[in-house]
Amino acid sequence: MSWRRVCATDDVDEDELREFKVGDITVLVANAGGEFFAYPPFCPHQETPLSLGMIDGDTLTCIKHLWQWNLKTGETRENAESPLLLYEVKVEEGEVLVNLEKELRYGYQ
Amino acid sequence: MRISVRTRGESFEFDCAEGEKILHAGLRAGIALPYECGSGTCGTCKAEVGRGEIDEGWLEAPGRAYVNPERSEFLMCQATARGDCAIGVHARVARLADGIPAPEAVAGRIARVEGLTRGVRRVAVALDRPVSFDAGQFMLVGTAAVAGRRAYSMADYRLPTDRLAFVVKQVPEGGFTDWLFAEDRTGSELDLFGPLGVATYVPSLPNNLVCIAGGSGLAPMLSILDHAIETGHFEARHGDLFFGVRAERDIYLLDRLEAYAGHEPERLRVTVVLSDVAPTAELAAAHPQLRFDAGFVHEAAMRHMTGRWKSAMAYLAGPPPMVDATLRALVTEARLTPSAIRYDKFS
Repeated sequence: MSWRRVCATDDVDEDELREFKVGDITVLVANAGGEFFAYPPFCPHQETPLSLGMIDGDTLTCIKHLWQWNLKTGETRENAESPLLLYEVKVEEGEVLVNLEKELRYGYQ
Repeated sequence: MRISVRTRGESFEFDCAEGEKILHAGLRAGIALPYECGSGTCGTCKAEVGRGEIDEGWLEAPGRAYVNPERSEFLMCQATARGDCAIGVHARVARLADGIPAPEAVAGRIARVEGLTRGVRRVAVALDRPVSFDAGQFMLVGTAAVAGRRAYSMADYRLPTDRLAFVVKQVPEGGFTDWLFAEDRTGSELDLFGPLGVATYVPSLPNNLVCIAGGSGLAPMLSILDHAIETGHFEARHGDLFFGVRAERDIYLLDRLEAYAGHEPERLRVTVVLSDVAPTAELAAAHPQLRFDAGFVHEAAMRHMTGRWKSAMAYLAGPPPMVDATLRALVTEARLTPSAIRYDKFS
């Protein structure tokens, strides 16, 4: 396990997505109704930054082609062809911690 | 030259002429290679060279921001082949479905140029032979005088036709529009490729129409409304057109918008939305069949569509920030599913 502090819970507004850099790894943090989730920063489709995406309930949508996922599990919804990868996350004393033992990447192939 | 394409799951082969863009050759052969803008901006048509040599074409293409040279990636809409090539495409690719007009190269000349408002012209092009297209589609248009081709949506709907109309907005330092606006170009030869684009109107779909356009993004909506009226869409379904511009002087084709609203007074609402200067009472009084509103076009659409989103199919076109803002509103406020939103992403 390699739990690293990524941000404070206050750094990401509710239903917002924000990128953070931890060492060389860029992590996208989502605050979905007060629950926090973390992903690689790009859409698995065409590397569009998911920070430009949108959250509605438990659905995350990429702005480019509206691929949608269950943001809690990464499962595809509607038109997405690949699932979203998720980092393990825990919140402790107002800090968002992410297990960055291994950087998650998409194949793009 | 022979191009072989490896995609997620399948392989295809097609012929490519010397100097022909690889994307065009594939589409012409009926293979639905991924693309959106077709003009070097969006990055959607990126592919990877496996074997053989390509010429990448326009090196400053904005869409090259999405390609990774370390993976030998390139933009199919810009590249030509130097010989037989094997390429890889990171997407699922199918053959073009029956009934979808396959794009092809066609020559034409400018038949008529008409000023619509400040910096916006309607350009009618006479083609060497008739083409078919779906309402909402666009062509890539170029001239020998300027490198590259630009994407313009057809602003009328008639099939088949040897005459296309486009709405062209003058863009700062835009090579093609500088050329077009510099002098009377009537009679000038153009080379076109198309039709392209997936934001098409399908008369058999039972949805209500919601068209949201900014600036010259009105053009494809005109073609969609022409086709919808022609096929009796509004006998059973309703429609809304939201047309956003900055100020009153930027509005164009008001008479045509009025004709739409007049044709279907109960079923089709046309709302003109001004973002910079609120519409005057005189403007509204002079055009009683139209609605006017102030603010951003997507905000006006949300206000006027409250309670009307059921069974909606939304069509969007306009400047990229307007399209993105509208996409956000449609997904998170109107809660449309992605399959109920049609647009071609140009950024």
